[in-house]
Amino acid sequence: MSKPSVVIVGAGFTGVATAHDLALRGFDVTVIERGDLCNGTSGRTHGLLHCGGRYAVKDQESAIECIDENMILRKIVPQVIEPNGGLFIAIDEGDLQYGETFIAGCEACHIPLEELTPKEALRLEPNINPNVLTAFLVPDGTFDPLRLALSFAASAKANGAKFRTYTEAKSLIMDGKGAVSGVKALERTTNQMVELRADIVVNATGAWAGEIAEMAGATVPIKPTPGVMVVYDQRFVQRAINRLNKPGDGDIVLPQRRMVVVGTTSFEIDDLDYVPVIEEQVELMLERGSELVPGLRNAKVRGKYTATRPLIGAGEGRSAARTFKCYDHKETDNVDGLVTITGGKATTLRAMAEKTADVVCEKLGVRAACVTKDTSLLSYRQYYNMPN
Amino acid sequence: MDTQHNRPSPSRFWNWFNPVGRQTSGWAFMLQRVTALGLTFYLFLHLIILGQLAYGPQGYDSFIKLVSSPIFIASELLVVAAAFLHGLNGIRIILTTFGISVTRQKQLFYALMVLALIIITVFGIRMFTV
Amino acid sequence: MSEKWNITLKVSRQKQGEAPHFDEYKIEVNPDEYVLDAVERVWAFIDRTVCFRHACHHSTCGACGMRVNDVEKLTCITYIRDVTHDGGTIKVEPLRNFPVVSDLAVDMGSLYRRLESVGARSVLPVPEAEIERSPSSWSADDGQYIRLADCIECGLCISACPAATTSKDYLGPAVLAGAQANGLKRNPELMNLVDSEDGVWRCHSAFECTAVCPSFVDPARRIMDLRTQIFKERVGSLFRKA
Repeated sequence: MSKPSVVIVGAGFTGVATAHDLALRGFDVTVIERGDLCNGTSGRTHGLLHCGGRYAVKDQESAIECIDENMILRKIVPQVIEPNGGLFIAIDEGDLQYGETFIAGCEACHIPLEELTPKEALRLEPNINPNVLTAFLVPDGTFDPLRLALSFAASAKANGAKFRTYTEAKSLIMDGKGAVSGVKALERTTNQMVELRADIVVNATGAWAGEIAEMAGATVPIKPTPGVMVVYDQRFVQRAINRLNKPGDGDIVLPQRRMVVVGTTSFEIDDLDYVPVIEEQVELMLERGSELVPGLRNAKVRGKYTATRPLIGAGEGRSAARTFKCYDHKETDNVDGLVTITGGKATTLRAMAEKTADVVCEKLGVRAACVTKDTSLLSYRQYYNMPN
Repeated sequence: MDTQHNRPSPSRFWNWFNPVGRQTSGWAFMLQRVTALGLTFYLFLHLIILGQLAYGPQGYDSFIKLVSSPIFIASELLVVAAAFLHGLNGIRIILTTFGISVTRQKQLFYALMVLALIIITVFGIRMFTV
Repeated sequence: MSEKWNITLKVSRQKQGEAPHFDEYKIEVNPDEYVLDAVERVWAFIDRTVCFRHACHHSTCGACGMRVNDVEKLTCITYIRDVTHDGGTIKVEPLRNFPVVSDLAVDMGSLYRRLESVGARSVLPVPEAEIERSPSSWSADDGQYIRLADCIECGLCISACPAATTSKDYLGPAVLAGAQANGLKRNPELMNLVDSEDGVWRCHSAFECTAVCPSFVDPARRIMDLRTQIFKERVGSLFRKA
């Protein structure tokens, strides 16, 4: 009895995590990716391992997903995480008043938090704004984007998944009955076309999900929404520093190695494949970031770039929900054999994969439970131990 | 899935003498090898020329004529230069191997090369004026 | 209003089974953007066949290392302004000493496998992460924090190392640096791996690795320190045996 087969288009967080889950459930998995792992949105995340506090007031579904997945990732892949926690700090009256709503939200989402006095906060983080009015200690963290993905990919590979990088999906193969039965892809290293047949195709291309779905005449309500990140050359803080207020621009300062990353903004674009950095937004990051960590004004910019979030449909910019959704195109567009998973946040990659794998198993009548919650991932370097 | 171009191999030793894209200490590395080759070449030349002495008084006379010529003295100066550059740089390498002044090895290199130049100049003056 | 420069990007191209050659692209860029942005612009707007590696765009993943005008650079943090002028040319080639997958992308498998063989830690306590700080200059609390190691496994050091050009089995600067960070006291089993012909003794002090490292690892210093550790261990064991 041969294994059910799946082709996953896209090797960002969603693609690699889904490959890992399906490989564990006994699938024959092939992942194709037009670049190398994480060269789309996933690689560019600032790396905040969310505790969910940011969403605890207005988007509790996302918040609960975040805190649950945060705890799971700390357990299964500690080798890519700086687990030092985070602070939500109040700088002005408006922030201070948000405090009560914040506490209520976090408690509703079982996010552990501890309120600190300004003195305690400054003892923990001497480089934050000395005028801090109050602070909440939460279990945030920083992760290494590419290495998080490599850890999932390595584990998937160890269970038989194949990764074909520099392989770009050009069209979906339709069987005569309006269902997807595979992918026609261009091998960019040789300029040859290849045909990959599978029982099901998973579209894990994030911001590009609409483009892939279109190849089968299906639609996905994706609203690509980029934001800027600015990186400074000193590790001013040991923990993630968040602004205690509604989610806004430039309200996160995150340590990573010897740097801090300040993000982000939210705007619209037409061209997905290259989003330039807008100078005014960089200045805004410095403005707002230095309200949290004044030392930024004396630091040098080490890098600046944009990353495009795959937001799902309704809602404008920041009010759009950050949860994820798995679309079975048989139900939405009457195109069988194609499933799209998109939306979501880096922190929830494993949960997104679980949901997708559940849908895939159900469609193919495969009975296999998800075990990724308790399966420690291999060292990310093992990805290179095994041939493609 | 990969190509032959760009792989490490002993035949690519010519890259040691490629100055393109090198930083200061990379130049030092290259200088060490060039002077090493130079000094080795000198050693063979030295033995061959000394071999001339085996040919009796006639050989001795032609030998003296050869070694008194300005070209020969200039090339001897080159040997002195190679010896001091190689030797002093070698001392720097010994020091850094034992962890001494690793963080200031670039400054040490400049200092030792200046010292070498001074010594070479002194030798040069003596060799051409005495 | 941001400045605009017109530059030429000379990109090394090589598909499987072909010899490498250069393609030139004329593009308009903002000089405060990065070399990686220039390469990305070429891919996005002119030539979709260009293959290159990139992920984080902020010097933490190590994927975008290339040779820019013959010098190893991490292209996501290398300003265009620093490598050319208006009307100038930027030459980009893949890193040396790794097999080329396609165009600018190389296969870093050997580096990752060797790092794994010395058990180089990817996260470690903050006071252990930097070689230039002595323990006394750390604030007492910092020991409780863990951070990602400085080494982003980008391979620039191996590309720049002359010894790595001629010896394919040389562990390489990044790997020896990772071994040094572990230390022979903590990991005595590393001794035979590093005290060997293809370990620390293959290094001939070119110091090019430290010169090109974009992430403050200072591999040359770590290699010399590892040699000191080896001496201490070997000489010390003579006395202990007696």
